[in-house]
Amino acid sequence: MTDLPAGAAYLAYDGDALHAGRGPGRSFMIDARCLGGEAVRDAYAHVCALPAPDASLEFDQPEVQQVRRDALAWWIPLLGDALVCLTTFALDASRYAGAMTVTREPVSWADDPFARIFPGTVLRTSLFSDVAPPPGPVLERYAGVAWPGGTF
Amino acid sequence: MTLGPGAVFPDLDLPDHTHRPRRLSELAGGDPLALLFSRGWWCPKEQRYLREVTAAQDEFEVAYARIVVVSIDSPEVQSAFRAGLGARFIFLSDADRVWMDRLGLLEVTDTTHRPYRPTAFTLAPDLTIHGAYDGYWYWGRPTIEELRQDMRAISRDIREDFRA
Repeated sequence: MTDLPAGAAYLAYDGDALHAGRGPGRSFMIDARCLGGEAVRDAYAHVCALPAPDASLEFDQPEVQQVRRDALAWWIPLLGDALVCLTTFALDASRYAGAMTVTREPVSWADDPFARIFPGTVLRTSLFSDVAPPPGPVLERYAGVAWPGGTF
Repeated sequence: MTLGPGAVFPDLDLPDHTHRPRRLSELAGGDPLALLFSRGWWCPKEQRYLREVTAAQDEFEVAYARIVVVSIDSPEVQSAFRAGLGARFIFLSDADRVWMDRLGLLEVTDTTHRPYRPTAFTLAPDLTIHGAYDGYWYWGRPTIEELRQDMRAISRDIREDFRA
């Protein structure tokens, strides 16, 4: 895990629960805005990641680019008002370790495009706050921050 | 209101195609922006032009630049039109025409729909207008190459490490 860039925050996942900060479990860098506001109580987090430390791909792999395109094209519109926030999980400047979509209510998790990379697990959480979804079409990351966070 | 190069474009506040309230400066997010006023989904010229813009989104997605379309269509209609185009950029709905008079962009010849006059602006992140295009006649619209050149010029101005 590299130094935390501006606009990023740590999130840990142990397979059963999410924790703000580093550990217990596997630590990821996420879009800091997801932890930056008033938390939505008893939300649902669809965590498409694995606790295994070697479960990662390059962010620039075509399949990782494509699930971000799908998120912009139809996953975010499909979620509508249920969406609280979403973020990818970064291990460092180049490695993708999964993604998370947080909603106010259960949604059609089977449609989550990020689950095509790593399988999803639904967890209840009161950690995350509302973040306006990315307007698109930018897929690239800003200074290594987990998409869609950061700016120049 | 003068909407020419050097002026600052108003910071529009409108719902997007999912009904979520948005502000133009937030959508720019520090990047250059192509702002396209569109008559609406029904116009064959808009369908043609936005298919071309959609084809160009593959460049915008890697080039740190944004695309925003404004029309009088409702968010539901915009969402369907956007899906049909395969667009991954944002649409803003001014179904109540709250900005139309202030911007002076009513198309006066279409008295049935009272849509926006097809107009395009290329903006810096602080919403300063770089280029303005009147697309009432189709050939007045910016070509993709013109949008590309404008995005290049704005990026050169705002990115300190952009070399000639």
